[in-house]
Amino acid sequence: MIRSSRELLAVPLRALRRSGMVWALSMAALIGMTVAFWPAFQTQPDLTKIMEALPQALIDAFGLADFGSPAGFLRGNLYAVMAPLLLAVAAVMMTNGQTAGEEDAGRMELYLALPVSRQAVFIGRLWASFVWLVVIAAVMLIAQLASDAAFGLSIGTDRLVATIVLCLLLAAWYGGLTSLVAGWTGRPGLALGIGIALVVAGYVIMALFPISEVLAPWRHVSPWDWALGGDPLVHPSEAWRYVALAIPAIAMAAVGTVAFGRRDVQSA
Amino acid sequence: MPSAQRSATLEWMSAGAMPLPLRVEGLVKDYGSVHAVRGIDLEVQPGEVFGFVGPNGAGKSTTIRCMIDLLRPTAGRVELFGLDPRRDGVEIRRRVAYIPGELRLPERLTARRFLESIGRLRGGFDRKRLEQLGERFQLDLGRSIRQLSSGNRRKVSILSAMLTDVDLLILDEPTTGLDPLMQHEFLALIRERRAAGATVFLSSHILSEVQRVADRLAVLRGGVIVAQGTVSEVRGRTRQRVEVWFETDAPAHLATLPGIEGPTLDGRRFTAMLSGSVRPLLDALAGQPVATMLIEDPDLEDAFLDLYAGES
Repeated sequence: MIRSSRELLAVPLRALRRSGMVWALSMAALIGMTVAFWPAFQTQPDLTKIMEALPQALIDAFGLADFGSPAGFLRGNLYAVMAPLLLAVAAVMMTNGQTAGEEDAGRMELYLALPVSRQAVFIGRLWASFVWLVVIAAVMLIAQLASDAAFGLSIGTDRLVATIVLCLLLAAWYGGLTSLVAGWTGRPGLALGIGIALVVAGYVIMALFPISEVLAPWRHVSPWDWALGGDPLVHPSEAWRYVALAIPAIAMAAVGTVAFGRRDVQSA
Repeated sequence: MPSAQRSATLEWMSAGAMPLPLRVEGLVKDYGSVHAVRGIDLEVQPGEVFGFVGPNGAGKSTTIRCMIDLLRPTAGRVELFGLDPRRDGVEIRRRVAYIPGELRLPERLTARRFLESIGRLRGGFDRKRLEQLGERFQLDLGRSIRQLSSGNRRKVSILSAMLTDVDLLILDEPTTGLDPLMQHEFLALIRERRAAGATVFLSSHILSEVQRVADRLAVLRGGVIVAQGTVSEVRGRTRQRVEVWFETDAPAHLATLPGIEGPTLDGRRFTAMLSGSVRPLLDALAGQPVATMLIEDPDLEDAFLDLYAGES
């Protein structure tokens, strides 16, 4: 039982190795290149003034508040949009690829014909996607700490850890959502489309809804708001933010797993 | 199994207490408005090779996928060893090995790595056996699956089902893409597994292949079984294509022989479909200047034309 569970995790872990490494290195490169501009940015106080002259709504929408500080610089350039967006897209793609994608391609069939439960096969694939997300997040943290040290950007490690963990949980939320659609339908195009569309929609709701007085209260329906609404690079985040992301992620993955066990498996 | 235990088991089986390896009752499977399987009844006895024959699209793979619990029947029931595939899927699959008809393998792995993984998941994996099977089927296990030809990929799937001894082999078009030598080797392996006590459910659209190894068979067409019985029983209801070349003009009386249908006399060549015994034809040809002769299975559509026509 334990041996088969290990193998059911090892198979997708290996299958995701290439894409996981590409994602991790790309994120590290993005972080390194962004932080490399910090010294030049510090010597250009005019840039900060230009940012401060922008309308408040725009500053809020793109996380540009206090842009001249280390936290503001990282938020505006990385952690308000790019890092969580890319990590969430990675989660959607990896989860979809290992579940509905493999099923649709007919490559899951030989495993499902073995003396293991359908649910165990599905869960192994979800775990593998999550493990790779954790690896990517860990590489991001290492790249961030190394870049900060190399380019003299000073920010608390606890703030960075909290921010990256929240980005990771936000990505896991979208991974859970993707697994729900994949488990329910087995249609990779649909799971990918819904996953990516809701990643973008979540960002738009968090970033642009506050501009409108009518829509502003609705920003709280976005998981992006739960993750990043407390400005984790500056303030310690409340515990509920972690819980609000993790519990639904697990619940959606569980529903997707149960749904996968109850329907026909797609044939190639 | 010790002989005393085996005989006790057989006694129990004969008393009807032992559930059949495979039993299908009134199986129906619809995909929306498409009726893929429209009421199938089957019983496969322990230790037999059961052929499941039908043209592409007849519903063979759908039926098989219901057995493995990849599909859920719309109506009817499937039982393997008396167990329900949905409720007892893991227990059933512990005793069953399956080769899918549509073959999709992980491209980046080597054949050995993939098969080791399958073996570990199946339990009781024996590396030595894998190497022996690789040698027997002349498969380079060290090559990446992406680099393998379709025939070699098929060998990988065959090996995946043969890594351990199971009670029931469910094989969906297992020889597609294999060269004749390897087909022969595969059928030899099937006979060995039957001799060792395994039951085999072999699906194919090639009648002659099934005929070489099966004890009984069922013919599927349009989601229903149109013929079922021993190979010779079913065979007697099919037709073969006959072609005879003579050194002189073909004798006209061949056209009137019993069992001859649709005869064509074209100079030195005689062609027809033959149903039933070949004996009247052979008797008529004795003493004739026959240059060469061919009696072959037509494709399945033609072989079971009468059965299909009767069904429709």
